[in-house]
Amino acid sequence: MPLRSLLLSKGDALTRRFIMETLSYLVPLFQVDVLWTIALGTLGGLVIGALPGLTATMGVALLIPLTFGMTPVMGLNMLIGIYIGGIYGGCVSSILLRTPGTPASAATVLDGYPLAQQGQAGKALGMATIASTIGGLIAAVVLASLAPQLAGIALEFGAPEYFALALFGLTIIASLSGDLLKGAISGLLGILIACVGADPISGISRFTFGIQGFASGFAFTPALIGLFALSEVFTQIERMASKETPVSLVKNRWPSMAEMKESRSALVRGSLIGTLIGIIPGTGSGTASWISYNEARRSSKTPEKFGTGHMPGIAATESANNAVCAAALIPLLALGIPGDVVTAVLMGGLMIQGLAPGPMLFQTNPDVVVGIFGGTFIATIFMFIFGMALIPVFSRILMIPRRLLTMSIVIFCFIGSFSINLNPVDLYTMVGFGVLGWGMQKFGFSQAALCIALILGPMLEANLRRGLLQAGDNVVEFLSGPITLLFLGLTVLSLGWPLIAKLLARKSGPRPELTE
Amino acid sequence: MFKTNVAAIAMVLGVATPALAEFPERPLQVIVPYSAGGSTDLGMRVVADALETKFDGLRVVVRNQPGGGGGIGTSAAVHARADGYTLGAGAQGPIAILPHVGGADYTVDDFEFVGLFARSLQVLVACKDAPFSDYDSFIASAADKAPQIGNSGAGGANHISAEAFAKAAGIKIESIPFGGSSEARTACIGGHIDAMVASPAEAKASSEAGQMTPLFVMENARIDLFPDTPTAVEKGVDFTWSSYKGFVAPKGIPDTDLAWLRNAVKEVATDPAFIAKMTEMGEFVTYEDGPAFEARVKKDSEMAKTVLEELGLLGMNN
Repeated sequence: MPLRSLLLSKGDALTRRFIMETLSYLVPLFQVDVLWTIALGTLGGLVIGALPGLTATMGVALLIPLTFGMTPVMGLNMLIGIYIGGIYGGCVSSILLRTPGTPASAATVLDGYPLAQQGQAGKALGMATIASTIGGLIAAVVLASLAPQLAGIALEFGAPEYFALALFGLTIIASLSGDLLKGAISGLLGILIACVGADPISGISRFTFGIQGFASGFAFTPALIGLFALSEVFTQIERMASKETPVSLVKNRWPSMAEMKESRSALVRGSLIGTLIGIIPGTGSGTASWISYNEARRSSKTPEKFGTGHMPGIAATESANNAVCAAALIPLLALGIPGDVVTAVLMGGLMIQGLAPGPMLFQTNPDVVVGIFGGTFIATIFMFIFGMALIPVFSRILMIPRRLLTMSIVIFCFIGSFSINLNPVDLYTMVGFGVLGWGMQKFGFSQAALCIALILGPMLEANLRRGLLQAGDNVVEFLSGPITLLFLGLTVLSLGWPLIAKLLARKSGPRPELTE
Repeated sequence: MFKTNVAAIAMVLGVATPALAEFPERPLQVIVPYSAGGSTDLGMRVVADALETKFDGLRVVVRNQPGGGGGIGTSAAVHARADGYTLGAGAQGPIAILPHVGGADYTVDDFEFVGLFARSLQVLVACKDAPFSDYDSFIASAADKAPQIGNSGAGGANHISAEAFAKAAGIKIESIPFGGSSEARTACIGGHIDAMVASPAEAKASSEAGQMTPLFVMENARIDLFPDTPTAVEKGVDFTWSSYKGFVAPKGIPDTDLAWLRNAVKEVATDPAFIAKMTEMGEFVTYEDGPAFEARVKKDSEMAKTVLEELGLLGMNN
């Protein structure tokens, strides 16, 4: 806080007064009705997030009218509770049903679902809850202590920087997909698919074949639901002919000490990556969880375990996506720039309360700012309590006979895809991606690679073209910024690392990175 | 049984509030062609809230059908059954501009205009590190080098308004499209573009914080929020522009029902509590009846057509 620097320079009495003042802003948070509202918001968000097709964004947007009559601290913290609960809740259906509850949890599917299949659903959910809490708390500390200082990062990102960041993000495909050629094919297919819809610069419709429903391209969430959930249903149906042993339910929900220790570095990295990505506007929790997953895998001693039901995999993705929640509030509160889609909606909630987010908010309404800081902590703690308490309830879903469960997932795929935009064309998208995902799974193409390309492809294209437009098509000018060069360097390093590692470790046995 | 119940409820309500005679006996549905949480959506939700307070027993459901620059939801509204129960949020982009760009299955003539309840005023602001800080230096600087003006999407309302102003003022600008207004705002505050079109509310907060500088207001006369900022009109450029929030409907609604709806919009738009709420959100509440609203949209539509033709975007997606 800017007040903190004041605190250092002025005398003791002032310091004491400042601390008292700050604490007094926290008092309204502990009124019973405010705590109730935050708890209800968090629980509601958790359920919304767990239901595929209902995203945290929708939850916040739809409940904004409820805050009309509330005080700012109460209303905004309820919305923040929904946000935090919603991003966390997405992991439940990712782990149990291979259906990302929200796009933020798509990466959790990779290790969460195999764990559930091995009868470790309780532990997987437990790890996800712990990771989300740690990520959320670390980012909340950063939010409360360094918001104005870090917010500046958000302003450094222009088109070239976003382009370089997206390019770096795409290199994840190389290390995630196993078979490099098939991974590249999946990634490029994803970028091609992302080209459908309105051209980001000229607005012309591309590859829509005159169907108005595709004017904005393939809707992202229905595509994800098809890609991961419906494709799995097809696979299940194939297997149904053969006899299958039902998944046994393990009561335990706390990961073991050994598992926590193994996941420690993934947790810290994930939280920090999530915090950093959260500050950069227009990126969001989806990007953060993929990058975090990749970093955890890259730095792991046993990268081959990732994707087979490895605890650090969940720790990495869930700590990152919940860290984004609090971190995305940093540019919103300090600069009036939303860090992701949900905070853009939250900004609407602030405006309705007659508060314009921005540097002035810290001076004009410190009570609201401090109240939001406090509310972020409280909501994260509620999320932990509810999450842990509900694990046995959630895991019971797996007790449902496979046939019934599979059919209910199909129904959820359709309802979830339709409820996003109420656009019937989205159902074709979902089914199309379901068939595509099933085919990819069968022939060893990485669905994750396609998913990453769908997230980053549009960002890459729009910023490449916008940046070149602004630079008058001067490529050198476009690529000359320091942050751009940094990310381009990281991109080269990330792609070249397997080779470098091979050269370095020629003597000491086989290289760990690439599978042949 | 059910019918008698409905009749009984209608009777009770009819006694309670004379305005609620027979129509509407079911919830009204308003299609917002954008995602939940945007400014059009929030405005509609406040109106829905106000309508429900004003008319006892009335339910107004806001339904979001985003996509295609607002074209998908607007198309759904205009092709809905003309029974008065399905209305559309009358947004400038999809009604006045999109049909000219192409890819929409309706034209501006297909709508019944119910009423307008707020206008969104527009301010051109200079961004961080821009080589100009007021109207005159902006025009002078534009003569040397076309300023980069950010907008929220190619062919969208503030792309057209910036180009229309450039045409009226006889300057050259370079439009930089972004994916939505908050992306453009981020670029503006970060100094990656020179100027952008903003709403008075965001311009106010940002100019107080020194993030943006207002250049001119796109109105006929100066506005209360920016008493020191000139209008283009007083600088001798015949240019005004604002977008709006209102209700549209498919053509063919029964006359009495349409009259009820028009009256409802009027009552809400002139309600002090509603005006206070909307003003707090930075909206400029004003009431225009159906014909006035229609005339406004058609004028915008003509202007947009001229600008799009010059930009070479006319009928691009047909």
